[in-house]
Amino acid sequence: MEKGFEIKDDVNIVGFTCSYCAFKASEMAGSLRLKYPEGVKVIQVPCSSRVDPAFVIKAIFEGADGVFVAGCHPGDCHFIKGNYFTRRRIYALKEMFEAFSMKGRLKLFWISAAEARKFVEKVTEMYNHLKEGKK
Amino acid sequence: MKGKRITKKDLLDALKKFLKDELALLIAFERDNKAFKIRAYKKDVPDICLFNPVYEANTAIYLRRIFSEDFKILCIFRPCEARAYVELTKLTQVESRSVICGSVDCFGTVSSKLDNIVFPENPQDLKSFLENSKNLRYACMTCRLKNGVFGDFGLRIDSDWNLWVIPYTGKANVLYELISSAESDLPREFLENQERNGQVFQSSLDEFKRDFDKCIMCLNCRDICPVCYCVDCVFNNDEYLPKGDALINSILRSNDAQIPKNKEMYHFIRMYHVSQTCVGCGGCEEACPQGIPLTKYYKGISERLSGLFDYVSGRDFEEKIPYTTFREDELPNADD
Amino acid sequence: MKTGIFICHCGHNIKHTVDVKELSEYFKEIPNVYVATDYAFVCSEPGQEIIKESIEKFELDRVIIASCTPSLHGELFKDLLKKSGLNPFLLRRVSIREHCSWTGDDLKKNTEKAKKLILAGLFSVVHNLPFEEKVVEVDKSALVIGGGISGLSAACFLSKMGIRVYLIEKEKELGGHVKRLNNVWPYEKTGKEIVESLVSELVKADNVQIYTGARLELLEGYFGNYNVKITADGEREMNFKVGGVIVATGFEPFDPYLKPELGYGRDRRIVTTLEIEEKLNEVVLPEKPRVAILHCVGSRDETLGKSYCSRICCINALKVARMIKEGYENAYIECFYMDVRAHPKGGEEFYEETQVKGVFFTRGNVAEVVPLSRCVLIRGEDTLLGEVFEKEFDLVVLSIGMSSQSENKRLSQLLKVSLDKDGFFMEAHIKLRPFDTAVKGIFIAGCCSGPKDVEESINHGKASALKLFGMLNKGYAYVEPFVADVTEKRCSGCRMCESVCVANAIKYDARKRVVKVEEAQCMGCGLCNATCPSSAVTLLGYSDMILMDEISGLLARL
Repeated sequence: MEKGFEIKDDVNIVGFTCSYCAFKASEMAGSLRLKYPEGVKVIQVPCSSRVDPAFVIKAIFEGADGVFVAGCHPGDCHFIKGNYFTRRRIYALKEMFEAFSMKGRLKLFWISAAEARKFVEKVTEMYNHLKEGKK
Repeated sequence: MKGKRITKKDLLDALKKFLKDELALLIAFERDNKAFKIRAYKKDVPDICLFNPVYEANTAIYLRRIFSEDFKILCIFRPCEARAYVELTKLTQVESRSVICGSVDCFGTVSSKLDNIVFPENPQDLKSFLENSKNLRYACMTCRLKNGVFGDFGLRIDSDWNLWVIPYTGKANVLYELISSAESDLPREFLENQERNGQVFQSSLDEFKRDFDKCIMCLNCRDICPVCYCVDCVFNNDEYLPKGDALINSILRSNDAQIPKNKEMYHFIRMYHVSQTCVGCGGCEEACPQGIPLTKYYKGISERLSGLFDYVSGRDFEEKIPYTTFREDELPNADD
Repeated sequence: MKTGIFICHCGHNIKHTVDVKELSEYFKEIPNVYVATDYAFVCSEPGQEIIKESIEKFELDRVIIASCTPSLHGELFKDLLKKSGLNPFLLRRVSIREHCSWTGDDLKKNTEKAKKLILAGLFSVVHNLPFEEKVVEVDKSALVIGGGISGLSAACFLSKMGIRVYLIEKEKELGGHVKRLNNVWPYEKTGKEIVESLVSELVKADNVQIYTGARLELLEGYFGNYNVKITADGEREMNFKVGGVIVATGFEPFDPYLKPELGYGRDRRIVTTLEIEEKLNEVVLPEKPRVAILHCVGSRDETLGKSYCSRICCINALKVARMIKEGYENAYIECFYMDVRAHPKGGEEFYEETQVKGVFFTRGNVAEVVPLSRCVLIRGEDTLLGEVFEKEFDLVVLSIGMSSQSENKRLSQLLKVSLDKDGFFMEAHIKLRPFDTAVKGIFIAGCCSGPKDVEESINHGKASALKLFGMLNKGYAYVEPFVADVTEKRCSGCRMCESVCVANAIKYDARKRVVKVEEAQCMGCGLCNATCPSSAVTLLGYSDMILMDEISGLLARL
């Protein structure tokens, strides 16, 4: 730490990605050497429905500039119906964020295992958007 | 729908008859001189107060975890309290076979913290008194659900100031059958309660932080909330609200932190937890020792979030809490 | 707690863009970290030896390996911990390759990110518990759904390897679409011959049960122990147990009625490739017939929602053109195509030859086929010349593509395997695991996962069978212990978790007024955990504590 290269103005994004789709896409993005900002970090969860809105809220109050939840496309959930519940919950949570003028700090993505490029596009777009707002 | 037009005396006679049963209980309001209290009656009931203008706490919290099937517990509550009861039955936090809970038309309430208010006894006068009172609680000022249309039965006033009892579920019969008046069609118009159009809640994180800066994390708002039903809240535990060594540990990790820790997170998470079930009674604000305008936030958020799913907490016993169900073809634009 | 952190260079893959030395120096300073070291290839023999020695020397009770993504080398590192006398669930893998070194070029920023990723692992590994992996016996048997060419190939292979096979086919006869082909590319063999040789092998085998007119009704359980219920011959109900499943439901030929403008069904001079191949002899044509062959009917067609290429129809169209040319030397044959994609080996040469033999190819969109008494009229646009045309023919052949089986939707729900946007079964990974589905022990073979030709379907069937055989032959399997678990004293009995559980694994105990989890039924998604406001239900391995500390790690201020 003494060497000290703290990057102060960086944007921190925490992403929750489901094991079967979005996390696989993020792995593939790496394998394809697709670049995205370092501020984006993902947490693997078995299903997007494991994401308790409390985690999102915790991340925000611990300093995350943005949080995204990424799961399989509706209808494609490995756990059959998990992401339908995710959809309701995160949709509601986004409405709550909007009520506190925090629009854009929480996003919901549907990313299949094959959509590495979509993953990179989405997180980069989110990153740039938040970075713009931080200036 | 049908009902019975009654007088206050008819109602009292029926309640007295109801209490003849060994296992019957009545929970209602009483007016004791100037004070208004919640009281449970076991054997006899001299009088009850239908329109209680003083708000202490949401009475439905006293129904939580009544699981005995042996009793017949008749409750005459305000609409917001009956709605909380309906939510609690959905969450199996009350044995709905033993509790029969009805709602009375409400004129609004003032805080029990205020002294020296003399309320008129006559309902007509009380209504106009409250409508013109600047002391009306914020929750009541913004309430759009003041009619006694919730729960197992309703006690309502028609436009000619007659009292009506209307059964909404089969359970209401324990009272309804004891009323000797004849059944008839409902009047065309009930008393109109002043409808106030609430605005869509809109705030900002900064405003929120300013308002909640005073919070001391006493957790009263949680404990008094009728729909915060958990026997063991996550905020009793170190992972959400670290105390002692866990607190020091978490501070070491984040370098610096405010103490008490996580209070903004607490309110956000609790707001989400009650975002569909909140009845907007404002009980939390009454319990807050710091005078934080909790109702504005909690009720505002719940109205926005339940509105997404056309859900009204406590409207219907059968309506599922939105987070526990879904439709496959809904919310096509939920993702970004 | 004694934690060891091992950071992999992965040759240059990680080291190139992450300062691994800086990382190991940084983590050495952290309390409870007894060893933090970096090495060229942690997965290599010497790399493993370093970990093993450190575990023994420092009596480590938590291990963090920061290397490639956790999906890789999982078993290897688990075994390493076992060999070192440590419970494998006390290992935490941190991906600093796929999720860090490969996704950015800035050394400083990457190192910072890797630090946080490892910190997240360090914070959360504390909550890892020494679970016991459950070993379950695996039933050496397989269910093959579909008796087409790939299902037959898979069944034959498995039966030869000594696996008990239950083959179910919805039609009355085995063989699928291939059975109907007169001439299977490129061998000039009839489909019937190919199918019959496979079927006769299966009938002879004593470990194969064939059910025709059969339908899968239920599939329950997990890899090694699936309970299957089928109905055969319309009503007979049968129950049996299998270790694994191969889905080989094939395809449905595109229904040409879905493109009414092509006039199919209105005139017997408008036929499909499948029909003409089966009964060319029955078609009455003039001595010098004029024949149009329309490519891509039901493929690469956005208006039908079928944007994919069916892969087989170009070569089918060419085959039909040649067949007609052989019967009628003076025939005028014109193919209307978008692009000619003569996929299989030798296909391009065949296309060349066909052109040399005098078959005409027009790049165009056909808008309308109009049967008249003297001819069949085709209206369309030549997309090379940009001109509208109107031509007369005696016969119009529609080269139809492949659609997914309509039955797939029902099956996907039974099997819990997802379908892709076109209704085909989805591979676990299109390149790395093309035969697997996301469900352990369920494989896909042939056209059920997308259009394939006969050769590919046979290979696909055999490959899936081989993969399944490898898993079944071990005789046992490990079951992940990551299921939901109820802390009774925190449970309010609100039953929200019960109402959301997709697997019906949560049951309400009315006496105690709490819920309990049926472990065997739990799929481990964690929906209950997220639904419970007091987190009385915990998903083991992904508890609130683990995930919340992971968040803290990622957001730590260094």
